[in-house]
Amino acid sequence: MVGGSETVDLRDLRSAGALMLAAAFALPVLPGHPGLPCPLRTLTGVPCPLCGMTTSVEETVHGHLDAALAANPAGVLAVAAALVLLVCRPTTLVVSRVVAIAALGAMWAFELHRFGFV
Amino acid sequence: MSDFTPIPTAGPSGPRASFGSRLVAFVLDGIIVGIVNLILTRLSRPLGEVGGTLVSLAYFTYFFGSPSGQTIGMRALGIRVYDFTRGGPIGYGRGFARWLGYIVSGIPCFLGFFWALWDKEKQTWADKIATTVVVPVSAYPVQP
Repeated sequence: MVGGSETVDLRDLRSAGALMLAAAFALPVLPGHPGLPCPLRTLTGVPCPLCGMTTSVEETVHGHLDAALAANPAGVLAVAAALVLLVCRPTTLVVSRVVAIAALGAMWAFELHRFGFV
Repeated sequence: MSDFTPIPTAGPSGPRASFGSRLVAFVLDGIIVGIVNLILTRLSRPLGEVGGTLVSLAYFTYFFGSPSGQTIGMRALGIRVYDFTRGGPIGYGRGFARWLGYIVSGIPCFLGFFWALWDKEKQTWADKIATTVVVPVSAYPVQP
């Protein structure tokens, strides 16, 4: 069922947010600047909704918002969400399934446009 | 705890392994499989390319389907794969399905693995495909 909402336990997301921010600071200074290549794009050439997120999060934490927004606007939101989780420490969040699916769809449309598919 | 009946609540229906422990276990397993693949590739590049997939398949299918439901990484972190509907081990057939679920989970920028971060039962897509959950051994001990 697509409609309705989901109550999300945010403890794991808080840990993942901290890890994401740490990785965003650490990855650019590591030898070879490692990243996470998208398997879908590697195999087919077609980007997925999360393509550009590593770049976007890295650029956001280094203050390069233009580059972050160009790679994937959701990266800026992910950094903001991680900061809220770490500072305000909410425990649960009610998420609308329709909004979540629409957000993923918008991210995918953005990436398909960025790579010239639409 | 062999009887395992999910109870409909806002949170998970029982104790679940944290995302962090699952991530560390996955990294440990990746290192083990990676070392074997590296050795195979050094012996012969074609053997490494074909053998790499087979090593991964054999490793994860065997350990997911084993009576403990633990890979080496999971054993180190004190977590195990558990049948979501009936409890206990899942067998090698569903262990293979769960390995296939790893591939499916990884294709869209690993979204299927991140799914455990917000899923009510902390299930990845691999868990959903094989109808499993990952639980702490302290709450669901391995039967001797």
